[in-house]
Amino acid sequence: MDLKQHYYEDVSLFSSATIVFWFTALALFLALFPLVVKNYYIYLANYIAINIIIVLGLNLLVGFTGQISLGHAGFVAIGAYGTIILMTKVHLPFLPALLAAALIAALFGFLLGLPALRLEGPYLSIATLGFGLTITQIIGRMDLFGGREGLHAPALTIGAWHLDTDVDFYYLLIPLTGLLTLAARNLTRTQVGRAFIAIRDADIAAETMGVNLLYYKTLAFSVSAFYAGIGGGMYAFVLRFVEPEIFTLMMSIMFLAMVVVGGLGSIMGAIAGATLLSWLDLQLRNILDIPYLGDWLTALSQSYFSITGVSNIQFIVFGMIMILIMLFEPLGIYGIWLRTKIYWRTWPF
Amino acid sequence: MREKFSGIWRIVAVVCLLIPAAVLAEEGVTDSEIHIGQWGPQTGPAAAWGSVARGTDAYFKMINAQGGIHGRKLIHHMFDDGYNPAKTKAGVKELQEGTGMFAWVSGVGTSPGMAVKEYLMERKIPWVGPSAGSLQWITPPQKYLFAVYPLYAMEARTLVRHAVKQMGLQRVAVAYQNDEYGKNGLRGAQEELQKHGLALVAEVPVEVKDTDMKPHVMKLRKSNADMVLLWTSVSHAVRIVGVSKAMKFAPQFMSTSTCSDFPLMMHISKGLWEGVICATFGELPDSQKALLQTYRKDAYEAFAAKDERWGLFFYAGIIFAEPLVEAIKRCGPELTREKLVQELEGLQDFRGIGPTVSYKPFDINDPMSRQGTQETMLVQCLADGKAKNLTGWIVMSE
Amino acid sequence: MLDFLQMILSGIAVGSSYALMGMAMVLIYKTSEVPNFAQGEMGLLCAYFTYMLLDGFGVALEIAIPLTLAVAFALGAVLEFAVLRRAKNPSVLSMIVITIGMEMVLLGLVSWKFGADQKTLPFPISPYDSVALGDIYISSLELLTLGIALMLMIGLFIFLRTTRLGMAMKATQQNFNAAKLMGIRTHRIMMLTWGISAVVGCIAALLIAPTIMHPYMMWDPLLKGFAAAVMGGMTSLPGAIAAAYLLGIIENLFGGYVSIEFKAVVAFAIIVLILCVKPSGLFARHYVKKV
Repeated sequence: MDLKQHYYEDVSLFSSATIVFWFTALALFLALFPLVVKNYYIYLANYIAINIIIVLGLNLLVGFTGQISLGHAGFVAIGAYGTIILMTKVHLPFLPALLAAALIAALFGFLLGLPALRLEGPYLSIATLGFGLTITQIIGRMDLFGGREGLHAPALTIGAWHLDTDVDFYYLLIPLTGLLTLAARNLTRTQVGRAFIAIRDADIAAETMGVNLLYYKTLAFSVSAFYAGIGGGMYAFVLRFVEPEIFTLMMSIMFLAMVVVGGLGSIMGAIAGATLLSWLDLQLRNILDIPYLGDWLTALSQSYFSITGVSNIQFIVFGMIMILIMLFEPLGIYGIWLRTKIYWRTWPF
Repeated sequence: MREKFSGIWRIVAVVCLLIPAAVLAEEGVTDSEIHIGQWGPQTGPAAAWGSVARGTDAYFKMINAQGGIHGRKLIHHMFDDGYNPAKTKAGVKELQEGTGMFAWVSGVGTSPGMAVKEYLMERKIPWVGPSAGSLQWITPPQKYLFAVYPLYAMEARTLVRHAVKQMGLQRVAVAYQNDEYGKNGLRGAQEELQKHGLALVAEVPVEVKDTDMKPHVMKLRKSNADMVLLWTSVSHAVRIVGVSKAMKFAPQFMSTSTCSDFPLMMHISKGLWEGVICATFGELPDSQKALLQTYRKDAYEAFAAKDERWGLFFYAGIIFAEPLVEAIKRCGPELTREKLVQELEGLQDFRGIGPTVSYKPFDINDPMSRQGTQETMLVQCLADGKAKNLTGWIVMSE
Repeated sequence: MLDFLQMILSGIAVGSSYALMGMAMVLIYKTSEVPNFAQGEMGLLCAYFTYMLLDGFGVALEIAIPLTLAVAFALGAVLEFAVLRRAKNPSVLSMIVITIGMEMVLLGLVSWKFGADQKTLPFPISPYDSVALGDIYISSLELLTLGIALMLMIGLFIFLRTTRLGMAMKATQQNFNAAKLMGIRTHRIMMLTWGISAVVGCIAALLIAPTIMHPYMMWDPLLKGFAAAVMGGMTSLPGAIAAAYLLGIIENLFGGYVSIEFKAVVAFAIIVLILCVKPSGLFARHYVKKV
């Protein structure tokens, strides 16, 4: 949009003082947020932050590299189980355990990336989907992972810091999310990111230009799985309890929906999509409490549908959002943001 | 100047007087209301269990219509968690920290419950009657968590004992759902058989995702079992019985309380459920017991949505809430959580429309101090979906 | 040996419903290159519609079924016309997301209307009466499913080969723009394809519904049907059918001889292995992409 005249403008973190101001404001807001709101909203923020981490990773794979994954819940499961097992069985401290679990997830990502070299579209979606379903089955089978009865997360300490409450966890999670966002943003601006985009746009063309497909495709899968692994490890501590049935196909679909609704190939989009959809996912159960709309829906249920199934409206709302975004704004929330920005910049012309 | 000062002091004095009053009243209890929370899946694959929460809702409305408890109305806050623990935790926190619940009742599912157990227990919030027969509620027992649901392992033992002792069936096989629920049933069956010097002739795991039951039935048939214990979901149990019929395999089937809603089972199995023996945790839908008929008339017919079915899961919501309501009644007008816990512990052989419920003073080493019931009833399904009572309420002893 | 034969037969029986779903998916994929994740829920809606006609309005089965098939055709055509054709910049990914969105909407509608209680479709042919071939068994409903699957297979084969509409569909699939230049109304062809595919999916759902009905009943058949379609090459109708039966048989043998716990997911593991060796499935010619 803006004309960039120098290479450093392209790689600089903040392009103007206004942006620095807004980011400082955001950081301040995030730092002070827990002091003013109820504990529930902090839990909500934690939940959203975890989804942001996972979706950032998935967006690197889907939005930047153009590969589809319907099995990301599998990587999240590996991260969650890995962190807990490494902490309880191997007695690693939390952060090394989290990192190691994420690296294990990345290894699985690499392995899944190998067949993905030759697959695309529906072939890749069924392969990843199969991975997601199989991994939870295997975890559920093994007694090391607590089988189907699940595992409890141990107490969380980092050095002398005991993270007992959601607020403590928030102060760990938010900087981590910021760090991973920054890492993702920087990755997309390096040679690696450019290679990803080249693969997305035309993989054969990219190969002829010297992009090593083997290397970059498996790298995209690994990085994406790494993010999911980190997200999974954090998820285990937000719930403090994991069992295989949590990591369903529905979860993978939700992640994909977040990427697409937020905007493919955009860091800001991933954040916006994850925030909006996780929030909706948690809040749509209250849809009948909305004034007027709730009453109308109840009346509608009584005469044409059923009261007992009325909560299923949330699926309809969700599905409609996904369809409408894809139909009218393929770039998702990010696209809407871009258009609004351009509209006001050029106004009144 | 003087005037202003005294004004401030007056406010301070009033505030100081108000604070103790606010502290004294228990969270979630006002002069006219008692707030009670509950979650239950209204959407998602477990939504068939959603009627539990709706049953409790109708039950509370009935109590309110009769004037409430000591002048207070029961305000029921139920929400849909879609059987997703992350959503359960979010909803529980929102209600607890927003409105403030006095206590929680029922709540479907082991993993949603496990996700919030720690949260509720740390805050000393009573939770009565989680609706899943899991051992996790009482290992270790928690002071504020009162289980009502009969233990699956105990149910399985009672069924197997009935088969071996009363019916003389020796070759027992189990088809179990491959999770905590199914494995508890499997363990119960194994333990009981061991006592009689027998062993299972086959144990066949059923995956939740599976729909084709033929390989499972082939394994059961090959074992030549004369009794098959089904510890699966409703749809899998029906499929197994159906496929067995198609394969000309006709053992005595027995099943868990989950599958003891006979009118429903007869309907979806197209009559094949006839003759199956189940353990059950409630009176039967057509029971003539006066209390059940009262509930049917005053709670179900008066307050349930018109598309609601009068089934076991619906009034299970009443069964799980009865001990809580009874204890609140016994607390009298001064309602606090500690008092509620005391009154719950004082329940001895309390019977509503379910099994008798008794608790003991809290003892960390005695899981049974928080396991409300050790009773079950064995019933057999008849041709018209009615049930034949085989045993009446019996205590599941070792 | 008897066991082995029984497993093969059971595999063929269960493979029939995979084959029906697989066929439905391939039909759509061939013309519009969309893996249709809403296929199962389209069938679900139709099955519940039949249930409503039979149970709620007391319509006779002979009337209810043709009526449902007509509704299925209309549903498929309308979804193509109203939703998919409106997509800007239709990449494979956005199409997948749109069909997942449709799936959620349809699932929500069905659960909203009918609740979550299990039901069964009143149907004259029982899933629990069986035909015995010596000591191996197949239920009457499975036999019917097998028969219908075979008939549809042959019917579609002849239809695509010989009729003008079938030829037009093939042409549209092979080259959308060229077909358009040849005077084929490609959009209309797409709409018809969606309609036909919805009918096939509806038949699959109707044949599952007499056993048990609940809002999630089509997930497993859809995923297995999709797996079969991919294994068969996604664009090849006979390939999808052969793969569906193969999957059914493998599942049953695996459940019988190896591990019954992993039976539900073995299909996907096999798919990953097969795709490693043959990235375009077993029966499709490898499609070489041009830059």
